[in-house]
Amino acid sequence: MAEKIGKHIAIYGKGGIGKSTTTSNISAALAEAGYRVIQIGCDPKSDSTNTLRGNNYLPTVLDSLREGNKIHLDDISVKGFGGVLCIESGGPVPGVGCAGRGINAAVNLLQELNLFEEFKPDYVLYDVLGDVVCGGFAVPIRDGITDRAYVVSSSDFMALYAANNLFKAINKYAPTGGAKLGGVIANSMKPGYHREIVEDFVAKTGTSIAGYVNRSIDVQQSELYGKTVIEAKPNSAQADIYRNLAKHIAENENLVVPNPLGSSELRDWARNWGDRIYDIESGVVGVAEAI
Amino acid sequence: MADIIKNPRNGCALHGALQTVQEINGVVPVVHANAGCGVINYLANSKTTGGSARFSGYSIPGTAAQERHVIFGGASRLREQIKNTIKVVDGVLYVILNSCESAMVGDDVDAMTREIVEQHEPVVDTLIAGFNGGAHFGYEHVLADVFKSVYDVRLSETNKNSNLVNIFGIIPEKDPYWQGNIEEIKRILEGVGIKANVFFGVTGGIEDIDNAKNAALSIVFGRWGELPAKVLNEKFDIPVIQKAALPVNALEEKELIDEIGKVISLEQDVVDEFLNKELAYESNYYGRIRDEVIEHAIGKSVAIVGDEEQVIRLGRIAKDVFGAKIVAAILTDSLKKDEEHELNNDEVFASITSSVYKTSDQKDIDDIIRQSKAELVIGSSLEVNIANKAGIPLIEASYPIYHKSILNQSTSGVRGAVEFVSNYLTTVKQDEKEKTEELYNYLKQLKGQKTWQEHSSKRGQVKQLNLISELASKESI
Repeated sequence: MAEKIGKHIAIYGKGGIGKSTTTSNISAALAEAGYRVIQIGCDPKSDSTNTLRGNNYLPTVLDSLREGNKIHLDDISVKGFGGVLCIESGGPVPGVGCAGRGINAAVNLLQELNLFEEFKPDYVLYDVLGDVVCGGFAVPIRDGITDRAYVVSSSDFMALYAANNLFKAINKYAPTGGAKLGGVIANSMKPGYHREIVEDFVAKTGTSIAGYVNRSIDVQQSELYGKTVIEAKPNSAQADIYRNLAKHIAENENLVVPNPLGSSELRDWARNWGDRIYDIESGVVGVAEAI
Repeated sequence: MADIIKNPRNGCALHGALQTVQEINGVVPVVHANAGCGVINYLANSKTTGGSARFSGYSIPGTAAQERHVIFGGASRLREQIKNTIKVVDGVLYVILNSCESAMVGDDVDAMTREIVEQHEPVVDTLIAGFNGGAHFGYEHVLADVFKSVYDVRLSETNKNSNLVNIFGIIPEKDPYWQGNIEEIKRILEGVGIKANVFFGVTGGIEDIDNAKNAALSIVFGRWGELPAKVLNEKFDIPVIQKAALPVNALEEKELIDEIGKVISLEQDVVDEFLNKELAYESNYYGRIRDEVIEHAIGKSVAIVGDEEQVIRLGRIAKDVFGAKIVAAILTDSLKKDEEHELNNDEVFASITSSVYKTSDQKDIDDIIRQSKAELVIGSSLEVNIANKAGIPLIEASYPIYHKSILNQSTSGVRGAVEFVSNYLTTVKQDEKEKTEELYNYLKQLKGQKTWQEHSSKRGQVKQLNLISELASKESI
C-alpha cells in the first residue's frame, strides 16, 4: 500500500451518543487551526457532516454507486466550514440490503478515486455508525485504512458496552495491521459520578480518556442552527473544549491495543457500579466515599 | 475449526435444490444468486450424470446479483427476473431458489413470491441458502417447500387415488443412475398394478407434483426424502414406508410389494405372476454366469464408496451374487452434525459389513481403501487414483462418474442388478486380462536374460518370478 497521506482517524460509539457532533466539531477545530481535513460519514443515515455544510444536500457515495454512472469526486463531496471536505458513504433503505458491505464498497471507491492523493489532507476523520455489528462496520479499522480509532461514550452502560465491543474489534484486527485505540472521548459528562464510571472503565480496559465533553446547551443550540459549536459559538467555553480535544487527537501518539472485558466481567463491573450509584443517589454515601 | 476436504463430491444445498427442480418436466427454476452459482452445478453434473435438463447451466433464469444488489438488497431485481422469466420461458410452475448471498442480505423473497402469486402466476419459493447444507439437504428441502405451497398457487384436482404412490430418495444427478433407477422402480410397481409418482426424468413431471397429494402412500428409499414425505403426511395424511435402499433382487421386490400391500389393495394373482417373472429373469441370468463367477469373481474383498443408499444396494448385490467380503463401506452423504433423520441403518449394515465409515474427504477415503486391503473398489471416478496405486480394479457406480455416459441404465431392481452384475464380472475379467498381459509383457522383456535366479536376486521379485515361471510352464513359453 502506498504511504498514507494524512492521519486517518476512525470515531466510533453507540448510536445517538454524539459521534457526529463530536467528530464535526473536531474537524471544524482542526480546520480552524489551519489543517486540511476530510470528514467521511460512514452511516446509512448520511447525516454526519450536516453541521459542517449547513444541512445542504450532498449525494452519498452509495447513491452514486447505485445509479451505476461514472463517479467523480466532485459529485460526492462538498467543502464545508473551514474547507473541511465532507463526504457521506450513505447506504441502503433501512431494513433492506447490507449496510456493512455498503461501507466497505464506499471506502474502496474513495480509494479508487484517489481522494487522498487529490485532496492531500492532514487529517481524515471517519464517523462510523453505532456498534461494530458485523465485519462491514469494522472496515475503517481494518486493512490499514485508519491507524487510530477513538470511541465516544457517555457513562451509560450501553454506551460503554458498545465501546467494549469496539475494543474487541481493535483487539482482533490490530495484530494484523488494523488501527489501535487513541482513547475514549467522554461525552455528555454531567456533574457527579459520571466521570468516575468512565475513568474506571478505561482503567479496567488499559485505555485512556482523550478528553471530557460536558453536556452543554451550546451544542444543542448550534445543532439547531445547523452549525458546529466552533462556527456558531466560537468564543464559548464549549468551543474551547472541542479545540483542546482536537489538539489532543492531532498530537496524541500514545496508541494502545485495549483489553476488552469479557461478557460476565463487564456485567459484574456494571452491577458493582449499579450498587454504588444507588448508594450515592439515595444519600447513603457521598460521591468521594463511593468511589 | 473446520477441516479441509479433498475432492468434495457434494454440492451445496442450492445445487441440490437446483438439480432437483430442473429435472421435473414443466418446472422452471429461477435462481436468485450471484452469476455462476447455477453454472457451477451444471459444470459439475452435466458430464457426469447423463446429460443435462432443459433449464440447466447457462439456460437457467437467474438474477446474476452484483454488489449493488448486496448493498441495496436484491428483491426488486428478483421481481424483475421472475416477471421476465414468466414472459419468455414457458413453464407450468416457477420455483425461486435462494442463495447464500440473498439469505445473508435478508432479501424478502417470500414477499416477492406473494406479489407474483397475487397476479395468478404459479410461483413458489424455497428459502434454503447454499450454506444450509449439502446437495442431499437441498433435494429434501426444496421438495418439502414445493409441497408446502404448490397447492395454494396451482389449481389441481383433489381426488384420492388408492393405487398411487409417491417415490422419494432417488436424488436426480446425485445418483449417476438416477434415470434408470427411477424407470426401474416405476416398472416394478406398475408390474403389480401400482401407479408411481416418480417426479423426475422422462417418466415424471409436474403432473406427479400435482398428484402427490392424492397418493395413498409415500415410499422413501434411504434417508433423503423423509422430509417431503413427512410434509405430505402432515398435510394430506399420506402414510409413509421407508426402506434402507432400492430393491436389488426378486426377494427384496417381494418384501417391498408385500409391505405396500398392507396399505394398498393389490391383486394377489397379478403380484404372484409378476414376482415369478422377476425371479425367473434373475435366476436365468445368475444361473448362466455361475461358472464364471466361481472362476473369476467369487469371494473378493470389496470396498464400496458412495451415498448410503447406494452402498447398501451395491453391497447387497456384491455379497449375495459374488460372495464378496465388504471390507469397507464408505458413506459420502453430506450429513450435518445435527443429523435429524429417523432412519437408522445400523442393523442393515450389520448384515453387510462391520467396517462402516462416514466421510467424503478423498484423503480419508484413499486411506481407508488402502488399509482395507480390498481387491476391488466400487466407487466413483474419484477413486481411480487409489485403485491404480493399489493395483486393483474399480467399478464406477457412484457420483461422480467421468468415464461413462449413463442414460437409462440402472443399478437397482432385478434388471438393474443384472446390469450391475454384468458390469462387476466384466471389470474383474478385464482386470485379469490386463494383469495377464502385464505378466506376458514382463516375461517377454526377460527373454534373453541368463537365468531366472539373476532376476530373483532382486528384492521383492522372487514371488513374482515364481509366478511367471509357473505361468511360463503352463503356457509352454
